[in-house]
Amino acid sequence: MLSLIGIAATLWLAVTGKLELYIHPRYVPFTVTMALIAAAVSVAGFLMTREHSEHPDEHADPDTHTDPDVPKPGRLRAAGSLLTVIAAVLGLLVLPPSALTAEAANQRDLNVSGTLGRHQTNDLLTEEPSGFNVRDWASLLRYSPGEAYFAGKTATVTGFITAERKDPANVFYVTRFVVSCCTVDAQPVGVPVHQPGWQENYKPGSWVTATGSFGLNPNQDSTNPILMTATQITSTTEPERPYIH
Amino acid sequence: MRQPRPGPESAPDLDRQASEKERRSEAAYRRLNVVLALGLITAVAYIFRTLAPSATAGIEGAARDFFTLSISVIIESLPFVFLGILVSILVQVWLPPDFLFRRLPARPVLRRMVLSLLGMLMPVCECGNVPMARGLMLKGLSVGESMTFLFAAPILNPVTIITTQQAFGWDSGILAWRIAGGFLIANLIGWIYSRHREPHRLLTARFEAACRSDEHQHAPHGKLRQSVDLFQREANAMMPALFIGAGLAGLIQVGVPRNVLVTLGSDPLWSVLALMLLAFVVSICSTVDAFFILSFGATFLPGAIVAFLVFGPMIDVKMLALLRTTFTARTLLQLTVLIALCAAVLGWGVNLAF
Repeated sequence: MLSLIGIAATLWLAVTGKLELYIHPRYVPFTVTMALIAAAVSVAGFLMTREHSEHPDEHADPDTHTDPDVPKPGRLRAAGSLLTVIAAVLGLLVLPPSALTAEAANQRDLNVSGTLGRHQTNDLLTEEPSGFNVRDWASLLRYSPGEAYFAGKTATVTGFITAERKDPANVFYVTRFVVSCCTVDAQPVGVPVHQPGWQENYKPGSWVTATGSFGLNPNQDSTNPILMTATQITSTTEPERPYIH
Repeated sequence: MRQPRPGPESAPDLDRQASEKERRSEAAYRRLNVVLALGLITAVAYIFRTLAPSATAGIEGAARDFFTLSISVIIESLPFVFLGILVSILVQVWLPPDFLFRRLPARPVLRRMVLSLLGMLMPVCECGNVPMARGLMLKGLSVGESMTFLFAAPILNPVTIITTQQAFGWDSGILAWRIAGGFLIANLIGWIYSRHREPHRLLTARFEAACRSDEHQHAPHGKLRQSVDLFQREANAMMPALFIGAGLAGLIQVGVPRNVLVTLGSDPLWSVLALMLLAFVVSICSTVDAFFILSFGATFLPGAIVAFLVFGPMIDVKMLALLRTTFTARTLLQLTVLIALCAAVLGWGVNLAF
């Protein structure tokens, strides 16, 4: 039953194009193929079911429990598996598919493990910055190539808002999750934006597009010596692909 | 159910017919139940997702993240579990019985060494290895030997080696230590458990029963039928474990702030223990964990990363739930402690030496 739920959920997500909310796109073909094979075998098994006489683990269950570690009576086990099935149906089939929330971003360290490595960041220096996304800018700010690099450059980034921990009144991050395998390893990256009183207009977790240039942080002991001084912030909705892969 | 009526035919023949009929109608009843349950689930899911999506809008924040994280573990691992089951079916049903074992050396130590390289031929990550190892045990591999395979294969595996190489390169030594560590620990564990006097006591009663019944179960049906049966049996055995493991992994992720781990950072011993705990909690597949931990490279000492890359594929929340289908809780506790000790010593040693 559980594998059927898993297969159905996988195929449903694949058909609606939402599989990428949970896994890296490079796994999509593999995942769909295996789900289709498993579905075919399950249907075959369903049609073939006749006798169940050679199912040792179903019949040999209650009385051969000599193992002291498994004192589970049949009823408890049944209740447990019913609960698992209900939770699986609820999570995989009933709830609408969703991306991680801003709350999860607060739980994880921003710009620590989601950014590009030092070498990849250095490679960015020679590239045209107009197409840079949140991770690119966050990596550049982390391994700062110096103020001169940022002078005169304009960035446009889209992400959800998380408050700066030390200076929540003046600074927020335009945040995205970076997913390297599946959503479990999602790491937040963010571009700091200096805008005193932002909380009056925007709530943490809401999606915005910010366009602006970079400048020195007036607050000298902040974690971000250089940040974005946004000229323009517009509200937007969560994009189709909320993660950076 | 119709009772067999007395007639001209011989009694045992009638009995057989009757029980056959009984089985059939029982199967039909089961099938009807399954169809009803599926119909009901589909209806409920359809109503909530498509017609009344606002009904579930109340689930926000941490609760929603819990579901998102658990679902992602399930969706990510499911195809690998299926692949593992398929490979295990290939070995159990389609290959000649002694195909693998004929080629294995007779000396136990060499045998385990060869088995720990078996993963090279089967690029399955650790979730797929559990059904595979179960299949090997049903084929007659000893418990210690299958443990060696189980713990070595996710590391000594072409996909894992390639991704680790891409992430860390050859020069850093991390790849070499990962391979050496995985090989040594897996063989050590296999050696320790091969000396166990009653290896069957390491297994759950359920799996042991399957092992015993398998000995005298000689292909009552065609191979195709056998494969389908085996697929269903293995899927039924693995799924609860996978789902519960995924739920636990999601719960811990929502509950334990990760920056607690990261602040432990750069101490030779604490960094090792912190990353091992992280590996235990996040439960990602060995084939991609290198990319995940790459970004911690700046914060953590190399020994800690080696410990993460060696310990994670062998033991984590999801693996323990999957392994619980096969091994007793006591065995798993021993294994966890043993492997954790080995990995910690390895990581600490690397930190002190370099």
